[in-house]
Amino acid sequence: MNAAQPVTATASPESEREQATRLKRTLLHDIRRSVYVFRIDSGGCNACDIEIFAALTPVFDVERFGIKVVPSPRHADVILCTGAMTRAMRLPALRAFDAAPDPKIVIAYGACGCTGGIFHDLYCVWGGIDKIIPVDVYIPGCPPTPAATIYGFALGLGLLDQKLKATHHVEAEGEQVTVTHPRIPYGLRIALEREARRMAGYRQGREIVENFFILMEQDDGAPIRERIADFLARENDPRLAEIVHRLEEICARGNGGTDQ
Amino acid sequence: MFKLLKEVFRTGNVTVRYPFAPLPASPNFRGKPQYDPERCIACAACTIACPANALSMETDTAAGKRTWQLCFGRCVFCGRCEEVCPTGAIALSPEYELAVMDRADLYQTAEFRLASCRVCDTPFVPKKEVDYVIALLVHAGLPEAEAERRRAVVETCPACKRKNDVPRVGSLGPLHQMGMIP
Amino acid sequence: MSVSTESRRGTGYVAALRQKLPSSVLDESWQTAEQATITVTREALPEAVETLYYGHNGWMSVVVGSDERLLNGHFAVYYVLSMEGSEKSYVVVRALVPPDTMEFPSVTPKVPAAVWGEREVRDMFGLRPVGLPDERRLVLPDDWPDDLYPLRKDAMDYRLRPEVTTETETYKFINAAKSETTVVPLGPLHITSDEPGHFRLFVDGEDIIDADYRLFYVHRGMEKLAETRMGYNDVTFLADRICGICGFTHSVAYASSVENALGINVPPRAATIRTILLEVERLHSHLLNLGLACHFVGFDTGFMHFFRVREKSMELAELLTGSRKTYALNLIGGVRRDILAEQNLRTRQLIGELRGEVTRLLDILLSTPNMRQRLEGIGRLEKQVARDYSPVGPTVRGSGHHRDVRIDHPYAGYGSIPVGQHVMDGCDVLSRTLIRSQEFFDSITIIEHCLDNAPPGPVLVEGFTYTPHRFALGYTEAPRGEDIHWSMLGDNQKLYRWRCRAASYNNWPSLRYMLRGNTVSDAPIIVASIDPCYSCTDRVTVVDVRKRDATVIPYKEMERYCRERTNSPLK
Repeated sequence: MNAAQPVTATASPESEREQATRLKRTLLHDIRRSVYVFRIDSGGCNACDIEIFAALTPVFDVERFGIKVVPSPRHADVILCTGAMTRAMRLPALRAFDAAPDPKIVIAYGACGCTGGIFHDLYCVWGGIDKIIPVDVYIPGCPPTPAATIYGFALGLGLLDQKLKATHHVEAEGEQVTVTHPRIPYGLRIALEREARRMAGYRQGREIVENFFILMEQDDGAPIRERIADFLARENDPRLAEIVHRLEEICARGNGGTDQ
Repeated sequence: MFKLLKEVFRTGNVTVRYPFAPLPASPNFRGKPQYDPERCIACAACTIACPANALSMETDTAAGKRTWQLCFGRCVFCGRCEEVCPTGAIALSPEYELAVMDRADLYQTAEFRLASCRVCDTPFVPKKEVDYVIALLVHAGLPEAEAERRRAVVETCPACKRKNDVPRVGSLGPLHQMGMIP
Repeated sequence: MSVSTESRRGTGYVAALRQKLPSSVLDESWQTAEQATITVTREALPEAVETLYYGHNGWMSVVVGSDERLLNGHFAVYYVLSMEGSEKSYVVVRALVPPDTMEFPSVTPKVPAAVWGEREVRDMFGLRPVGLPDERRLVLPDDWPDDLYPLRKDAMDYRLRPEVTTETETYKFINAAKSETTVVPLGPLHITSDEPGHFRLFVDGEDIIDADYRLFYVHRGMEKLAETRMGYNDVTFLADRICGICGFTHSVAYASSVENALGINVPPRAATIRTILLEVERLHSHLLNLGLACHFVGFDTGFMHFFRVREKSMELAELLTGSRKTYALNLIGGVRRDILAEQNLRTRQLIGELRGEVTRLLDILLSTPNMRQRLEGIGRLEKQVARDYSPVGPTVRGSGHHRDVRIDHPYAGYGSIPVGQHVMDGCDVLSRTLIRSQEFFDSITIIEHCLDNAPPGPVLVEGFTYTPHRFALGYTEAPRGEDIHWSMLGDNQKLYRWRCRAASYNNWPSLRYMLRGNTVSDAPIIVASIDPCYSCTDRVTVVDVRKRDATVIPYKEMERYCRERTNSPLK
């Protein structure tokens, strides 16, 4: 197979693709307990390569499945490609791909390998492994964790089922987005959300402010100050207390009034 | 040599059982972006914030719809979409089992209807976004009737708004008298 | 931004330059209290750089080219020098290059450390450093058209992918050996891991006479991307992806370059969190390198154990950032995550475990007789060679120079933290390895110190305006040494020019001197000792000039020879 051509561009695409599929099935059957992998770094940032490394070492140990990284493409059943396929790596990658015996399974690894990732439209990359060589399995992630790597291999070898499926949503009649926390005045809500993000970032800040809203909305008769004090005593976290006190100050300043 | 053997025995077996047993990531791990299209107003904030262009949006004026798309294969899992989303429609989950055999499975799409401009009748803004803006106005204290009246403004496209403004600005007198142009 | 005259550091250097070249200094501007940019006449450029470099203890940090035709009608080159004499500061020597001749005198004959920077300026802008001894391409691939310069503002759209100009690789390797030598090419693909790079070792028998290499197989065009598709905050996520191991330091260096340009003060808590994460990155990076050191001396059990322990530092990164790679935590003006009690406790627990485990492993490693025997006196980087090429990080500290950005130019939270400095005079692989192992424990102490003394307050400031065409440097001490970023803001909410320079970029040029005079079997270990985002070797083609034949030896064989040192594949 001429690797420079996409698979679809061959003379009789159907028959050849069928043949390739059949051969790959045989390959999968034959190598189930002994998979030889050759790695091509076609211009990645190394993060993927180090995660592959981590997958080989004791904590994840992919060698227990018979997966072994080999030094030469001539021995490879699987070609594992990372990187966005830079111009300079095109020829070395093609040489390595051609050197591997057919049939072979190609895995595109990481965001760059799958589609070019953050570099997808740059002048010095081709934007993904499948622009140059045909790919069988895509492992997304930036970088994929060693566990995601194991999952990807298990999927490629037919041991596990694919979880991710293409989905398409069409807006239903009357679909509407409701405003959250309708009882908290809009201006105050925005002020609290901003302060929480400023103090603890988008993720932890949101979690903290959501808890704060729940405390504000509770109707159990106790004054809000007591509820907050109870909450902080339960959590026992000085930094959290500092942030929550800031939120309380904003409420006290009366940015639009509160339920106090 | 003895030290090494001691270390080996002390360590024992450290290999995780995954994939034969689940291996949960830490609670704030940034994995698969979980998208809830029903909470999405197609405002495009995420597509602007996404540094990798994994999120994109295409407006088809002729068909009167806008299509939102997420490519898991391009996502760099930074969580900017989650940070900027005004309705909490997207958030990164600890899910990391994302590998696929077919490239098409890397895409998630959602299609939204557009409302047409009140003046030129060209579809330009997602209907859900207009509804959400009106709901926010009500939430911010505007009487419902007044908020509904403003719908006409929200549903006028920027080009028509500019056109509408020209006679009004003109009626204010020459611009240089107002100090707006030197 | 106006920097008050009293607060300035490094005024002595500027005065010395004015005294030495009275009629050549055209302009002086201060970006921050410790960053000055001096514009000199084009003719005086080499002498100005030489004066600061050799006369006043300056070290070459980076050479920046910039297409400023839209601003002043000229191209500009900036030679950034880290001044490490009695006053610590950055002095940038700038010269304008006219767009009609595109020529400027090369600094490399006087200061060899400028060689890669000038080759890159030639590639990316088409400027000609007159007198540059090495005029080969550095960054752009062999199949790139000759007259297309990606970073010129009027050259091309960032998405343009020109037709391939050649189907063969045309790079010419340089061999300084006087007598006949055997050629040993390594790479660009390799098993041990990472970045593709192609090495040619020129050997006589078993001895390496000279070495040359072709890197930049991974050139993607990030600097162009930052100037076109991305906004200021997006670039922090791009900077993460300069390097898969020390991404966070790049992201901090970039963010602080913009913050310096605008005079933004990062909240103290954000600075402390950045410091903690920078040290977490050093933990996992140094463990990686120590593991590889085991691997290359044939102590694979140790290698596996270091990688087992390294997983704890990865868990730490995942806990604090949500990603095993400390990616995506910076914004201009602060960070995106806080450290709450839950993370605080777990971090202390993990670094406690790391301290114990690594102490035991290092004890085992250093008491292995083989280790000392294989590392001592190998891959010598002489003190003077190090002085000439401005290497950074453990590489330069292993050759007796006191250089550490954390101490010389404190950034993030380092100004208020006691940082130990480890310098050794061995100039060999052993020194570099030992320095890394000592720094590992320092990092743990720094993390503990930061957790104990984390200031209260916000983790992010926002709401500043970006003033067009301001510029400044941002710098960090990555696990491999100084990372430096130079950013100039634009007038369209995008960078006008961004130049990032990774630590290894400064270490590579000195590698050839470390390889010279060693045996082939030590090559992988020497390459790994500069921790070049690591060892880049794969297949070894041996061309014996005397026998006029070529044999191909798989890299595995080469690596086996490195470990076992028996049955030379060259015989």
